[in-house]
Amino acid sequence: MISKKIILTGSFGVGKTSIFNQFIFQKFSDKYLTTIGVKVNKKTMNVKGQELSLLVWDIAGEVTQDKVPTSYFLGASGIIYVMDLSRPLTFDKAEEDTKYLKNLIPGAKLKLVGNKKDLLTESELAETVANIKLPIDSITSAKTGENILELFTSLAEDLI
Amino acid sequence: MTQGNHIREDERALEKLKDILLNKDRAELEELRSILNNQDKLSEKVRPIILSHFDFLKENFSSEYEEIVNTLIDKKLKQSEQELLDLIYPSLGKMISKYVALQMTTLKESIESSVKSKFSIGRSIKSMFTGVKESDLIIKDAVVSTIEEVYIIQRDSGLLISSASNQDSMDRDVIAGMLTAIKSFVEDAFNKDAQDLEMIEYGSYKIIIRSYYSFYIAIAVSGAFSATEQFELGTKIDSFAEYKMKLFKGKYDISSEEISLLLEQDFIQK
Repeated sequence: MISKKIILTGSFGVGKTSIFNQFIFQKFSDKYLTTIGVKVNKKTMNVKGQELSLLVWDIAGEVTQDKVPTSYFLGASGIIYVMDLSRPLTFDKAEEDTKYLKNLIPGAKLKLVGNKKDLLTESELAETVANIKLPIDSITSAKTGENILELFTSLAEDLI
Repeated sequence: MTQGNHIREDERALEKLKDILLNKDRAELEELRSILNNQDKLSEKVRPIILSHFDFLKENFSSEYEEIVNTLIDKKLKQSEQELLDLIYPSLGKMISKYVALQMTTLKESIESSVKSKFSIGRSIKSMFTGVKESDLIIKDAVVSTIEEVYIIQRDSGLLISSASNQDSMDRDVIAGMLTAIKSFVEDAFNKDAQDLEMIEYGSYKIIIRSYYSFYIAIAVSGAFSATEQFELGTKIDSFAEYKMKLFKGKYDISSEEISLLLEQDFIQK
């Protein structure tokens, strides 16, 4: 079975851990996030007939990505960068952060995610997405679980 | 006779009377002065008193001063706790070492005597084939350090390359990831000279970590684990890594299962 490391990152309070918990059954307590700033868990998927083991590193939110220990990112094959659609400040930093991450792990596939879709109306969502400079790969709601599995499946397909 | 002459006459009479009455006292006072001003004489007088008090103290010191002395000692101990510990620790360490060595010798002697009195076919055969003394085999059984799990993990990603274990543990991929996260965290937080985390200890468990260029090996050991054993295990891990590196030429073309078998053979005691 192929194993891949995926990092789940972004500003604090954007819903990374909620996405993580929606995707993976909890094995480790969230206290690890506040102690060492990361929590690791695994999900096995079958993508295009290929068994794939995704090791997801849920990294505690920092104001900017350069505050996260660089060693947490090393060796990652995929990056899920999460923004909070209800907080414009979180996508203001996205351009700089994703540039930093691409530079640090050049080979990694990046997915830009707008989370907390459930907090916006259809018109607000359309207006918000139009205002984000970067192309969003996925619009999710960790609360309802909408598009979470699709997000990971899409990334897994990119990794095979 | 005038009135003035009368007064002078009275004064003289008074002086005379004083001389008569106080003559002895004055002589004694003078004697006391001479004693006080002369160290030898004073010492001669005071010495018996002091000696007598010393005798009294010898007899009654504890009842008279115990409370005061205890209070002072308590106060001083509290004030100088750290200094005292610094002074006591080295001696304490030596005492403990001596005690442990003595106890181990006693244990060994007792085991040797029990070996003479008890016969075990299995142990005798093992001793015969391995060349290890039966008493050493019994000690090994009594004071066991066991390698519980071995992991080979990619250094950067934390992905598990292979593992071996003598027990059912939780998901080893996840353990490898969290172990790498902890290792990275410690090295990032305290790293000053590009050093690697070498050991994690909790309770009677130790995780010995040896880092190499692209991977690291983590071994979980339970039980009493001496510094000598730790050193020997480190050397064993190094030689395994060197051997494995040769196998890894061509980028991990040996399967995880094959490595796991090698790990079991080399490290896991069934």
